[in-house]
Amino acid sequence: MNHLHSLLTRRALAWLAVLSLSLGSLSAAPLKIAYSDWPGWTAFAIAAEKGWFKEAGVDVELLWFEYGPSMEAFTAGKVDAVMVTNGDALVTGATGGKNVMILVTDYSNGNDMVVAKPGIKSLKDLKGKKIGVEVGFVDHLLLLNGLKKAGLAESDVTIVPTPTNQAPQVLASGQVDAVAAWQPNSGAALKALPGSKAVYTSADEPGLIYDMVTVTPQSLAQHRADWLKFVKVWDKIVTYLADPKTRADGIKIMAARAGVSAEEYAAFMGGTKLLTLAEGAKAISAKTAGFDSVAGSAKIADGFNVKNEVYKEAQDVPAYIDASLMVEAAK
Amino acid sequence: MLCGLTCTECRFHLFGFLTLMSREPWFAVLRPLSSRRQFWLWLLSFALPVVIWSAVSYVPFLWHPVMRVTSPGDVAWFTTGMLIDRHEFAQEAEKIAAAGGRRPEGVRANPIFLPAPHQVARALYTAFTTKPVLRGDVWLHESLWLSIRTIFWGFVVSSAIGVPLGILCGSYAALARLTEPLVDFIRYMPAPAFGALMVAIFGIYQQPKIAIVFIGTFFQQVLVIANTVRKVDPALIEAAQTLGAKRRNLIWRVIVPASLPDLYNDLRILLGWAWTYLIVAEVVGISSGITFFINQQAKYRNFDNVYAAILIIGSIGLLTDQALAFFGERMFAWRNGRPSRLRTFITRLFAGRDVLLFPDQPEGGARS
Amino acid sequence: MNPAGELPDYRTQSPAVAERFRKLKERPVVLEIDRLGRQFAGQKGPVMALRDISLKIHRRELVCVIGPSGCGKSTLIRIIAGLDEQTSGRMLVDGKETSGPCPERGMVFQGYTLFPWLTVKRNVMFGLEMEGVGADQADAEARQWIDLVGLTKFADNYPHELSGGMKQRVAIARALAPNPRVLLMDEPFGALDAQTRATMQAHLLEIWRNVDVTILFITHDLDEAVFLADRIVVLKANPGEVQEIIEVPVPRPRSLAQVNSPEFLATRRRIEELIHPRVTAPTERLPIVRLTQVGDEVE
Repeated sequence: MNHLHSLLTRRALAWLAVLSLSLGSLSAAPLKIAYSDWPGWTAFAIAAEKGWFKEAGVDVELLWFEYGPSMEAFTAGKVDAVMVTNGDALVTGATGGKNVMILVTDYSNGNDMVVAKPGIKSLKDLKGKKIGVEVGFVDHLLLLNGLKKAGLAESDVTIVPTPTNQAPQVLASGQVDAVAAWQPNSGAALKALPGSKAVYTSADEPGLIYDMVTVTPQSLAQHRADWLKFVKVWDKIVTYLADPKTRADGIKIMAARAGVSAEEYAAFMGGTKLLTLAEGAKAISAKTAGFDSVAGSAKIADGFNVKNEVYKEAQDVPAYIDASLMVEAAK
Repeated sequence: MLCGLTCTECRFHLFGFLTLMSREPWFAVLRPLSSRRQFWLWLLSFALPVVIWSAVSYVPFLWHPVMRVTSPGDVAWFTTGMLIDRHEFAQEAEKIAAAGGRRPEGVRANPIFLPAPHQVARALYTAFTTKPVLRGDVWLHESLWLSIRTIFWGFVVSSAIGVPLGILCGSYAALARLTEPLVDFIRYMPAPAFGALMVAIFGIYQQPKIAIVFIGTFFQQVLVIANTVRKVDPALIEAAQTLGAKRRNLIWRVIVPASLPDLYNDLRILLGWAWTYLIVAEVVGISSGITFFINQQAKYRNFDNVYAAILIIGSIGLLTDQALAFFGERMFAWRNGRPSRLRTFITRLFAGRDVLLFPDQPEGGARS
Repeated sequence: MNPAGELPDYRTQSPAVAERFRKLKERPVVLEIDRLGRQFAGQKGPVMALRDISLKIHRRELVCVIGPSGCGKSTLIRIIAGLDEQTSGRMLVDGKETSGPCPERGMVFQGYTLFPWLTVKRNVMFGLEMEGVGADQADAEARQWIDLVGLTKFADNYPHELSGGMKQRVAIARALAPNPRVLLMDEPFGALDAQTRATMQAHLLEIWRNVDVTILFITHDLDEAVFLADRIVVLKANPGEVQEIIEVPVPRPRSLAQVNSPEFLATRRRIEELIHPRVTAPTERLPIVRLTQVGDEVE
């Protein structure tokens, strides 16, 4: 009698365990990722469209936002991950949305520009002139970096605070002599003022701006395996776009996500250097002080942010980076 | 039905337009306009901007301040399709000719932010008929429907709280003193500033958008409704008091029915304001609705799509407003002196029992 | 101008009239006003709109209050209706001190103030519904009142479809429906044309004859006051005080034929003397310069 009893109890417990485990995995919510209109991030739409996440066995929900609202949603804890520049990852962390960068998608390779009116041939000519830029944002950093290289200081020019989506009109109106903006506003500025040219772009300083996927520390701790699968999918995306046979289809999907025609969108692809898993793994794990590593670039951005009072205290940059996932995926 | 006319009346006006040229003056102070003239002026108010727009777009010597380069010639920095100021173009052409090179060629054009009417029409057609490419994407009319629903819910929730509160504030000075200063203060706070907070409280889907519409509408609504309620003829209230009406009855049976036509108009106008919060509200949270369409098109400088979207929103707003005005006139005929059957529904609400549809109407103003 | 000698004294009453007044004074006092005063804070100090008004109105009496403009008639009736508060004195209804609006002191306003969103019948039912009378009973009672004022065919019309006289009849029916002790009427026929006014006065007497109600009627029309009233309270202005309470010697039932009777004219003349003491001999002449031609006379 006792023997039977204990046998039944053990079997019951075993079934309960199995049931609860399966229930547990059934009730696991999808990973919510906020992304916005930047080629390195829009590329994830290809994976969603082709079902590569499901193939990899990870349940991912990609949510499309405007850039600003995507960071707001992340800080509010409504999404598990967000795609931001490395500088903005620090800003988000400093304002209450602690995050860990796990994947570097690309660096800006010309899509961020300083566009100057006709007659100005280089950054040096901007001495004493007015420049429209969104203060405290990435292109402000771009501008300062360029000025430094040209031997100028911020005090040698007059900064006119300009929201980036108004940069083209402001340049065309003649109120400023140059603007600093990212695509598509930088391209629009070039068109708005005929004869203007880009005197300094992110192509002149690769690594100034790295674009990342960053996640909440809880989500990373609880779903590490899922995030690893996610990171592995990135490789497929980059390959798809690199392959001339499938590139057009990839761009078509990205353009549809952005709501514009494929020809229009293709123009922006050149200004973004997508990094393969191998390249990205190297960049994210390197611990140099310059722009060739995510850590170094982030440290420089941190200094810039503190100086411009984007936030008060310097951030612990190494804590923001977790290179292990990329390194493991690249193997 | 838009202008309150039936089909027969419409035809009557259209073919009778020659009588417009009767000798009555068009601009006489306080003299009412004949209905025929009203109809034609109404048509004109919409036709005129379209005519001007078409003229500026298609007539080459009207405006057209820039040149579109068709062939750059030898000028280094010209590219085909570029838009350049006319004077600059001429200057560059002279310069290159003086230097012995080929002249650039171009046609007169309007700036990029003024597309021609046919371009906007085509964009309108294309936008609605383009199939969504990606999985999970929606048709434009579905986006539009989502935007309409967002506005609707924001407005309904705001009215559900705002109208009763406004009525109470208008009726009781004590309550007004308590709530109105705070309401007035918050009214000036820009609704978009609440974006991050709304996302934090309500999440990222439709709820924060509805919340933003609510914030934009509610605080205005309370004050406007309270004001309207205060304008009820005090004689009506006194009459009701002498008939034994006290607090609750006074509000529910006298103040509300008396101010109902004006409240209805207030709500019509407030609905228009709620629409203006659409763009602002939909940026919060995930991009959705027609705002996503507008923002992306504006970002990529496809202004014909932007115009098309703006026209759609404007049309929806106009249609809704006209429809509501039409119903309003029918419902509150006791205001305007026109008999109606639809008002029995409303009076039934407040009278509590059915009112007979009048069996035989007297000739208006029968003597006693 | 009537030579003073031809008209009897307004105080002489025929035996029938005297008897009527005697019986009237035996009836209980429905509304008593005891040294009522109303003071406003004016720009240059307090203004006495009413001072020391005392009045006793018996059951089923028809009392008119008349006076020059600014004498406080409207203030008085508003205080009695409860829409305004007196600053001194008191008001008693059926012996009990009372204040505030109440359906037992129903009111008919000059501007009709019918509820425009309700039909005639619903308007009349309003007071009954406020009392809590059930819908069916209120409907039946309202119909009775509508029949009384002669608007049966218009029971389901809206106020804006009615003429002025009809609207006022509805207002009277509405005020009467809750069976008030006193019916207060604030210049109710002032906005009507002369023809309609005459008809309405006859209607009012009809209604009053058939309903157990006491009427307090404000007017500025002397003929109307004498035609309708049992007693007339004549007020004077600045401050508003009772000049005299006149018992109207004209016998009932009143008819238009009596408008030229000696009692009528005598009473009328008396009121005129009280209200317009100097109207008979205009001493001031306007400084008019002659602008017409000689020979182009009109009188």
